[in-house]
Amino acid sequence: MLNYTIHRILIMIPTLLMISLVTFTVIKLPPGDFLSNQIAELQSQGDKQALEKAEFLREQYGLDKPFIEQYATWVGIWPGARGYSGLIQGDWGWSFEYDLPVKDVVGDRLMLSFILNFTTILFTWAVAFPIGVYTAVRQYSWADHSLTFLGYVGLATPNFLFALVLMYFANVQFGLSIGGIMEPQYLGQSWSWDKALSVANHLWIPVIVIGTSGTAGMIRRLRANLLDELQKQYVVTAKAKGMPPLRRLIKYPLRMSLNPFIADIGNLLPSVISGSAIVAVVLSLQTSGPMLLDALQSQDQYLAGSFLMFLSLLAAIGMFISDLLLAALDPRIRLSGGVAK
Amino acid sequence: MIVCAWLRWYRNVVPLLAVALFAPTAASALAAVNLVETETLREAVAEGKLPPIGQRVPAVPLIGEYNQDIGSAGKHGGTLNMLIGKARDVRMLYVYGYARLVGYDRDLKLVPDILEGIDVEDNRVYTIRLRKGHRWSDGHPFTSEDFRYYWEDVVNNKALTPTGPPSGLLVEGEPPKFEVLDRTTVRYSWTKPHPEFVSSLAAASPLLIYRPAHYLRKFHEKYAKKVAKKSAKGRRRSWSAVHNKKDASYRFNNPDLPTLQPWMNTTHPPADRFLAVRNPYFHRIDQDGRQLPYIDQVEMVIVDFKLISFKTGAGEADLQGRGLQFGDYTFLKRNEKRNEFRTLLWYSGKGTQFGLFPNLNANDPVWRALLRDVRFRRALSLAIDRSLINQVLFFGLAIEANNTVLADSALYKPEYRSEWARYDKKAARKLLDELGLKRGLDGIRKLPDGRPLEIIVETAGESTEQTDILELIRETWREVGIKLFSKPSQRDSFRDRIFAGETLMSVWSGLENAVPSADMSPGDLAPTNQNQLQWPKFGQYYETGGRKGVLADIPEVVELSKLFATWRASSSTEERENIWHRMLKIHADQQFVIGTVCGVPQPIVARTSLMNVPERGLYNWDPGAYFGIHRMDSLWFK
Repeated sequence: MLNYTIHRILIMIPTLLMISLVTFTVIKLPPGDFLSNQIAELQSQGDKQALEKAEFLREQYGLDKPFIEQYATWVGIWPGARGYSGLIQGDWGWSFEYDLPVKDVVGDRLMLSFILNFTTILFTWAVAFPIGVYTAVRQYSWADHSLTFLGYVGLATPNFLFALVLMYFANVQFGLSIGGIMEPQYLGQSWSWDKALSVANHLWIPVIVIGTSGTAGMIRRLRANLLDELQKQYVVTAKAKGMPPLRRLIKYPLRMSLNPFIADIGNLLPSVISGSAIVAVVLSLQTSGPMLLDALQSQDQYLAGSFLMFLSLLAAIGMFISDLLLAALDPRIRLSGGVAK
Repeated sequence: MIVCAWLRWYRNVVPLLAVALFAPTAASALAAVNLVETETLREAVAEGKLPPIGQRVPAVPLIGEYNQDIGSAGKHGGTLNMLIGKARDVRMLYVYGYARLVGYDRDLKLVPDILEGIDVEDNRVYTIRLRKGHRWSDGHPFTSEDFRYYWEDVVNNKALTPTGPPSGLLVEGEPPKFEVLDRTTVRYSWTKPHPEFVSSLAAASPLLIYRPAHYLRKFHEKYAKKVAKKSAKGRRRSWSAVHNKKDASYRFNNPDLPTLQPWMNTTHPPADRFLAVRNPYFHRIDQDGRQLPYIDQVEMVIVDFKLISFKTGAGEADLQGRGLQFGDYTFLKRNEKRNEFRTLLWYSGKGTQFGLFPNLNANDPVWRALLRDVRFRRALSLAIDRSLINQVLFFGLAIEANNTVLADSALYKPEYRSEWARYDKKAARKLLDELGLKRGLDGIRKLPDGRPLEIIVETAGESTEQTDILELIRETWREVGIKLFSKPSQRDSFRDRIFAGETLMSVWSGLENAVPSADMSPGDLAPTNQNQLQWPKFGQYYETGGRKGVLADIPEVVELSKLFATWRASSSTEERENIWHRMLKIHADQQFVIGTVCGVPQPIVARTSLMNVPERGLYNWDPGAYFGIHRMDSLWFK
């Protein structure tokens, strides 16, 4: 077990390195760079010396260096303007758009992103679990069909559409302010009870929107697994022996079919993070999604790259934890493999 | 009452460029006006943190003219909420505040604002006179030293500004002779005429020829020895990079930098919400002696650009124009009562809302020859049903026109608007037949080399309005035998393709400044800039001084270039006016840019309790500064 853990942790490093290379390549793929956008903007303001100004800045920002040198400086394996200072050393780089270190720009957003994603996953579990169990036990009943249908509606409706509808409805019925993850006056303030309350008030819309698309799959998986278990011999034996129905359900079949919950954390984390980006843009939430989108559009390479690296790190750790939990939950899952029946 | 009448006369004095000297007669007016302390600053004054009002306004302040048709003077107080799309837009505080050395008033006449006066001699020598006692927002005096610092220590310092003085200060590459005459007077002299100087000082993004020397000096290597070693944070080592960053007069994102605008930013970036508070040393007062602005604070909240209309409809903005377009009008009207605001319709100051730009530098030789033939462009223009576009998209509220100046401008003539802009299918067909474009069996004409006449019109993909208008145009063009395909793209690749000559025809808005006066630059009418989508390579040639691009070879375009050069060298307003008319005539005649509608209504949302917002106004970047000329400092909450 310990060997396995160490092995997994060690293999995260080359994985993340590969991810960083691919990410940086894709960000640099579109023609031009941050400054070519700047030039157009300066010119549209009537600044006739935009071209020369941009050349001067290009040299200052190091954007005229070859690709591999820019990449290596960013990661921290090559000395840049300030010596060895890159991702490895904890320096996330410089944001051209905001003219500040990336760390300062990102601020509260990562925390709010984390809260949003974590709450969404909790919501997905909290909804999928009882519905999955109920639909398995009361198979083909009226409730089974309607609840599954609701789940599918959530899956089929585009996230952004659902978000807009809910947002409008909330504003008209409850007077909730449109968009944003909290009331405007709390933005930038330090955390307080009022601020937390405001966040909670606004959080339910994005959580419902992102969560419902995830619940459908989980409901069906849990239902399928549980149905499988309920068909088995030992359940019939327990029933024959007079075990009360609830205990009969929970003691063994349910525990056996919990696997998908844990295994899915690995899948759920990246899909929730990317799903939440679109919803965050539409609802104008102050999380990482909108900032990432802006950074990619304006080719603010270090901000975008560092952000994506952080999200990849989260995803990698998430998958690792999910694997560990799964091994802890289900004794059948061991590296030695073998058929366990 | 006497003061009122006197002021009305004062305001209507002949535009300054026609007068050699602008007499500071307001001194006598001030004597009749008692200054009233600002209520919200009373406490600070009592505690001694701020000097009393008499010492905070200049000796001769500008007596602000709020809208006479609304009438009453306002009272101090309140917070104005506005929505912006990204953090960079905090510079809108500088634009909307619109305190300039010389500014435009609502009738687009140039009036001294920060300056007490400006003397113009021969359009070559400009003597600038500051107001005595005028102070920066931190209380430090505003003097000629701030101009000298800019000239000697900023633009002429090779480390800070390697590109040298901005082109707005150069006449054919020649810099001015700069003299400081005394504490409140400076002079700029050129050997050749420089008629654009004053209008460039009044622009929304102006030629900024002064800086707060007392603040920026701390970051300049000449005045602060330990500045060069400041390399702890960030990628910057050089003092010039730090200085340039602190010098954010226009960007408005350095709260420590003193300003002369009515409100000063107090929030450091990065932030999602910027708060600006009143400048206690602002130089304008109202006619009852109250210091402007009336409103205490302006708050700008960053939201996703596409959500602005939604949030405005929900009542989250007290004054909003940015991010609203005519398509939002019905939605805003419906939510007016519930959320306590009113929706006004101002009008856009662009030459045309939607213009077609045939690319005269297209690579395809057959197409290039065809697009360069004026008969083809005229036929395209005659085959557009502008009234249909107006009715369908703008409820008939816009004006059908060519891409030319609006009626507000003194240079307007009805024939510029209507020439070749009528809907006449027969005449269009006649012109196309004359060109030898025969119709095929399906009704679509063929090019000289046999290919079908299919034009691919590219857009930047940022507006569904553009795609809608193209749909309407497609119908009418098909009737004369031209097939149109629209291709929404993405702004960067859209531009790159046009510059490279790959695009046949593109879509953009028309003249940026459609309310010019004779003394404003007609640069947009001649090839001066690669961003002119109808002749990108000609424009690039001018911009790069001949190093890249193609020299203009179409006779009419060459004439436009010549006229522009003559304008820059001209020395009388009359001559400049003639040149403008000739250039406008050529454009109307040649249809280099095919316009559709102009004067498109722009919805403006204003809180019900916000007073002094004009019912109808021009909403334009330059001249206009959007809310700038409408004097945001004179708005007040009831």
